Amino acid sequence: MAARAIWKGELKLGKHNVGVKFFSAIEDRSVRFHLLHEKDQAPVEQHIVRKDTGKDVPREDMRKAFAVGANTAVILQPEELEELVPPESRDIELLRFVPADAIGDQWYERAYYLGPDGHTEDYFAFGAALSRKEVIGIARWVMRKKRYLGAISVVDGYLVMTTMRRAEQVLSFSGVEPAKSATPQANELKLAEQLVKSIEADFDPQQWQNEYRERLLELIEAKARGEKIKPVPVKKKRPEGSLADSLKASIAAAKEKKVA
Amino acid sequence: MPSRKRQREPEARADEESAGARVRSLWSGTITFGLVSIPVDLLTAVRPRQTAMKLVDTEGHALGRQYHCSKEGKKLDYDDLVRGYETDDGKMVVITDQEFESVAPEMSADIELRSFVPLEQVPALYFQKPYFLAPAGKSAKAYVLLAATMERTGRVAIGSFVMRGHEYLVAIVPDNGVLRLDTLRYADEIRTPASIGLPKHSKPAAAKVTQFARQIEALTHEQIDIAELQDQEARQLQSLVESKQKAHDDVIHPKGAEAAEETEAGGGAKVIDLMEVLRKSLSRSAVVRTAEASEPIDLAERRAQRDARSSATKKKSAPAKAKRKTPRKRAKRS
Repeated sequence: MAARAIWKGELKLGKHNVGVKFFSAIEDRSVRFHLLHEKDQAPVEQHIVRKDTGKDVPREDMRKAFAVGANTAVILQPEELEELVPPESRDIELLRFVPADAIGDQWYERAYYLGPDGHTEDYFAFGAALSRKEVIGIARWVMRKKRYLGAISVVDGYLVMTTMRRAEQVLSFSGVEPAKSATPQANELKLAEQLVKSIEADFDPQQWQNEYRERLLELIEAKARGEKIKPVPVKKKRPEGSLADSLKASIAAAKEKKVA
Repeated sequence: MPSRKRQREPEARADEESAGARVRSLWSGTITFGLVSIPVDLLTAVRPRQTAMKLVDTEGHALGRQYHCSKEGKKLDYDDLVRGYETDDGKMVVITDQEFESVAPEMSADIELRSFVPLEQVPALYFQKPYFLAPAGKSAKAYVLLAATMERTGRVAIGSFVMRGHEYLVAIVPDNGVLRLDTLRYADEIRTPASIGLPKHSKPAAAKVTQFARQIEALTHEQIDIAELQDQEARQLQSLVESKQKAHDDVIHPKGAEAAEETEAGGGAKVIDLMEVLRKSLSRSAVVRTAEASEPIDLAERRAQRDARSSATKKKSAPAKAKRKTPRKRAKRS
């Protein structure tokens, strides 16, 4: 079944407009629960109350306040907040293109597949051009009354827009120079490299399942049928040793595994 | 080192949050790399956006959420609540806390590295949330060794770990001498073009591709421009707030108001200074900055500011500190 587009926009590149539809690339698979009152299993309602008196506050009396100190805040009136809402637009502004490694993964927030809206040829031509140039685009747009920043890239020939965090949120490092005592020796580096190579693999995400989610759903199904299931905990162990010895032993263990 | 796992501290003050590299320490454990163990602390790597607001009434009284029973209408405490799952046929299945625990992954303090893969093989689609790992043991040697080896080989480690009853799939990525831990989504959470129903590939005309390529080239740079990536919303909000504060317009002194929007998880964790931690545990010359700051965050200056602030507040007849938040039961698990 085809998914529903959450938004439509136009990529602006020079004189070209490429119409695109946004589809979430992420499917939320969280198991959702209702909060119930334990005694009578009736659903709970959430009220907004004054903290000091516990009295309900009607919606029209609720305000948002921005904290400016430990104990000081400024109320922003609804009409003031309304003025801050960016104007609606279908434009997706492409600010610049950069090599893919110019952006670290910590910038990435949430991915959307873009599908063609209208001119399919322009869509695939833009994707082909992005792949040829081996770059990603930095984009800015307004969607559902909010400003977004994103990186547009090509995955398997399709355009993907990944929303980005803001510059103020991302922390970066420089000048990390460990003390002499913490600097690894040449032989340790060599052994560590061997160990990395011994458990080298291709990224295969299918290999991992969210076992907790599976166990939770099994539990729910069993309970819905009126049964009970037994938990099966998995034991893990962790040996200790000196760094070089541990590296050697690890390589040996990894080799054995590969042979087996 | 004292365990931080269950420690809860009062909410960070808004002004402290905005000051530089203050991050939350969420978890302490050990990276197991073959038979090598590396003790680490898990820290948040992303600062919250400075757009969060508190809920108050028209007079500035702090507001909070209160659960009521829809049948009896009376107020409920956290302890009165259970979670129910609604099945497709409308049946409500109650899952008790004990049952949740019985299916939760076994408590473990290990981040187990299972394989090393080329970084470029992990698609951006998979990255969920970044954290930093700070060395926590007596020696940072094994930590430095792992970071250096990954950097040299261009490989990142894939593994898993358990935090707060959830098992996370993670990538450990070297970042300028520091190890970052990025949580990854599971494969079944990622859609494909086929599952969305995107049209089949069609080969575009070569001339059209060349046209687009030329336009891309004209806008291509080696680096990102931080000015383009700044938080415009936060800036507008802050300038509005500042002008109102100067005019003494709508300035209030709420006590313990709750966040107006659900803020990201991590509330209650210990707030620490990332640069201080790294300088102590890893390298005296480590510098941390936010991407938008041209100058590195100056520790001494920040401390002086903080001291000035705290002595100023002390003079003002010691206002009641925000009470520790009762953990809100989340309707979402897994």
